[in-house]
Amino acid sequence: MSNTITINGQDTVADVPAEMPLLWFLRDTLELTGTKYGWGMALCGACTVHIDGEAVRSCVTPVSAAFGKSVTTIEGLSTDGSHPLQIAWLKNNVPQCGYCQAGQIMSAADLLSKNPDPSVDEIHAAMQGNICRCGTYVRIRSAILDAAQSMKEA
Amino acid sequence: MNSLLSNTSLNRRDFLKSSGLALGGLTIAVSFPLGTLAAGDEAGFAPNAWLHIAENGDTTLWCGRCEMGQGISTALPAAVADELEADWSRVKVLQADGHKDKYGPQGTGGSRSINEMLEPMRKAGAAGREMLVAAAAQSWAIPAAECKAHNHQVTNTRDNRVMGYGELASLAATLPVPADPTLKTREQFRYIGKPLQRHDQAEIVTGERTYGADVKLPGMKYGAVRHVPVMGGSVKSFDASALEGMQGITAVLEIPRFEDPYGTVGGVAVVADNSWLALEGAKKLQIDWEAGPHGSYETEAYKAELVKHVEAPGEKVFERGTPDQALADGTVRLSGTYVGGHLSHSPMEPMASAAWVTDDRCEIWASTQDPQGIQRTIAALLGREEQDIIVHVMMAGGAFGRKFQCDYVTEAVALSQAVKAPVQLTWSREEDTRTGYYHSCSAQHIEAALDKDGQLTAWLHRAAFPPISSLFNPTVTRPGEGELVRIIKHPYGIEHVRIESGEAIAHTRIGWYRAVYDIFWGFAINVFTNELAEKAGKDPLDLYRSIYANNKDPEQVEAAQRSLAVVNKAAEMGSWGKTLPAGQGLGIAVHHSYNSYTAMVVHAERDGDNIKVLRVDCAVDCGLVLNPDIAAAQMEGAVIMGLGFALRTEVRFKDGAVINSNFHDYPVLRIQEAPPVINVEFIGQDYRSTGLGEPGVPTFAPALANAIYAAGGPRYRSLPFKAGA
Repeated sequence: MSNTITINGQDTVADVPAEMPLLWFLRDTLELTGTKYGWGMALCGACTVHIDGEAVRSCVTPVSAAFGKSVTTIEGLSTDGSHPLQIAWLKNNVPQCGYCQAGQIMSAADLLSKNPDPSVDEIHAAMQGNICRCGTYVRIRSAILDAAQSMKEA
Repeated sequence: MNSLLSNTSLNRRDFLKSSGLALGGLTIAVSFPLGTLAAGDEAGFAPNAWLHIAENGDTTLWCGRCEMGQGISTALPAAVADELEADWSRVKVLQADGHKDKYGPQGTGGSRSINEMLEPMRKAGAAGREMLVAAAAQSWAIPAAECKAHNHQVTNTRDNRVMGYGELASLAATLPVPADPTLKTREQFRYIGKPLQRHDQAEIVTGERTYGADVKLPGMKYGAVRHVPVMGGSVKSFDASALEGMQGITAVLEIPRFEDPYGTVGGVAVVADNSWLALEGAKKLQIDWEAGPHGSYETEAYKAELVKHVEAPGEKVFERGTPDQALADGTVRLSGTYVGGHLSHSPMEPMASAAWVTDDRCEIWASTQDPQGIQRTIAALLGREEQDIIVHVMMAGGAFGRKFQCDYVTEAVALSQAVKAPVQLTWSREEDTRTGYYHSCSAQHIEAALDKDGQLTAWLHRAAFPPISSLFNPTVTRPGEGELVRIIKHPYGIEHVRIESGEAIAHTRIGWYRAVYDIFWGFAINVFTNELAEKAGKDPLDLYRSIYANNKDPEQVEAAQRSLAVVNKAAEMGSWGKTLPAGQGLGIAVHHSYNSYTAMVVHAERDGDNIKVLRVDCAVDCGLVLNPDIAAAQMEGAVIMGLGFALRTEVRFKDGAVINSNFHDYPVLRIQEAPPVINVEFIGQDYRSTGLGEPGVPTFAPALANAIYAAGGPRYRSLPFKAGA
């Protein structure tokens, strides 16, 4: 199989061992550091990216799982920070330290792409794998509801 | 491949006394000369280390305190910009490198940044404004009084001509720096007190904000380490044969213990071409550990010992009046024992630092709360001068007190020196969980009495916990007066008081965890006060009110009044006393710490062991609020963190080592458990500004414990509520 991955729209050859986690290929090889290492066991969601539009935990996803596919990271979610979730995150001043927020936003983007009008319980179900230690959960909830609203109006 | 890293300078250096800062959360008054060093040599206007205005008007402000999400790198520069009359949209904020002479003390903890730095920062901005005005006055040959600075320009009030700050920069730079510039009055503030957006939010939501773990350098290698699991233990031997043949491994190295409070416990490290190889390589190492003198530490047994120590007479630390007599004479008497477990800070970004050491240079990029601590520690490690250790302060992906100590930097430096290349060291989550500077476990015993008039007249408080001072002086066997100061000075103002300290020898490294000892003071005092109210047949709010109203200690008048005001405000916000359905309850708590005051009313629901927080109302007095949105976020975070350690999280030891490893067994709070509503209101804004990074943390857990009891649940006297569950 070809080891080419389309990353944020750019075809990229993954000249690394197939079992290398996608996270470290992104961070160390490509120096796309927006995707974070938090816990390394799919426990915290800081490393969340999309493969063909589906949210995955890149810390436990071998790079080979993305061969021939399209990967979107926080750097590629929008070209100019204009994704409704990014705007809603700013409107609600969600981030404190911000380290988990790329993963939070990527998980939320996956949720809204499948469920444009989520209930609070549905937000909880989709977001419970993303940990924030600063305690921004109340604002994350509000921001996702705001983004859903603005996408409806758009 | 198995080269052994050895370094002859790894000897203990006797700076323990000087580095024992802020033990027990004491606030240290700071004064240092400002404006002696300019920002740099570049053209433009740089009257002091905090600001630079280029000839095109672009303005750079430096933040000397470290950013870890608390918003200080917005709040303090915004105060400079306000006094400078700068246009915030023209301002770029940079994080200052470690530099004592330029930036004064930079250690960021104890909720001290605003308390210590607000006035110096305002003066720095005001000095700049006065110089720009003076430059304009000189250009127009009119008195300065007839020039007015506003929004990045100065207006000639005679003819309404204007000159921009950029135009004025070169001339202003030639003028004397005023020693005592005039500060704005509150009505003149444009940014202070306003919900200005943090300067870095847009970078965060696009993934551009770089943290300590994100630093990339030319030719950089990546490190991973496995630490000695027991304090004082060592590496007996290790076998790296499983790594043979692995491509991309640079070196396997033993890192010796560096006997320094901020040093390293030692371990074995793998340096490789990327983090994955380093982490995988470290996992494959076979290491034989020597446990050392603390190899039998076991938390449950230890906490039981602490309980014994506080339920028997201890060492008297403070006494006022005749507490034994007053207890004996009391009409209502109560005693209670409260226990708390170790906590791990577990910031989302594990310990991470990049270091590049050459024969004549040492440069460090670190997520840190204390760049000067790094300079001190690494200078000792390498046998170089502190000012030769260059520390770039990176955004910390959470810290909560953990990144005050720089063991991870020590290790990155040792690895870089050994492999002669820049090294980025990121700890695995397991190492982060197991190699902490933990929040101390604790036991407290309180006995108190109300007299025949229902007044709280006697209070005996015994506390035992391994104190942070044990980190700096291993012969410490119990908390001392400095570490008990907040119960000595607790604003209850009781007439007859005795504070006693119980033995508690440290068997692990103890550090500052957000709110430090106030977590256990706030919990025990508030739960006990609610129990006392129940025993006296009083509403707890009424008991708080009568205690504060009767505080006759002249040194505590203000603290008692402000405590009373926040507890009244929280009660009002949370509709204290309202009727609730069965299974629901309201709980109340108030705490004064780090010069600020917080009170909370928690509305909780219980269904068996299942606890749900429905609403939290927080009343806060931290004086004048610099940025209400950032301040409210600190309180929301305090509630979430408090809920986590109330319900579940505890670091436990067995055979001297931490049992927990990752989030599955250190289950911090997730979104579905976060309260639907957290209301925050600020009062007392006529007082001077004080910090809010920590003061909310001690208040939530006791308010929740009281709410659960009010809802018909058990009376929880430990943190977490169900210890060992």
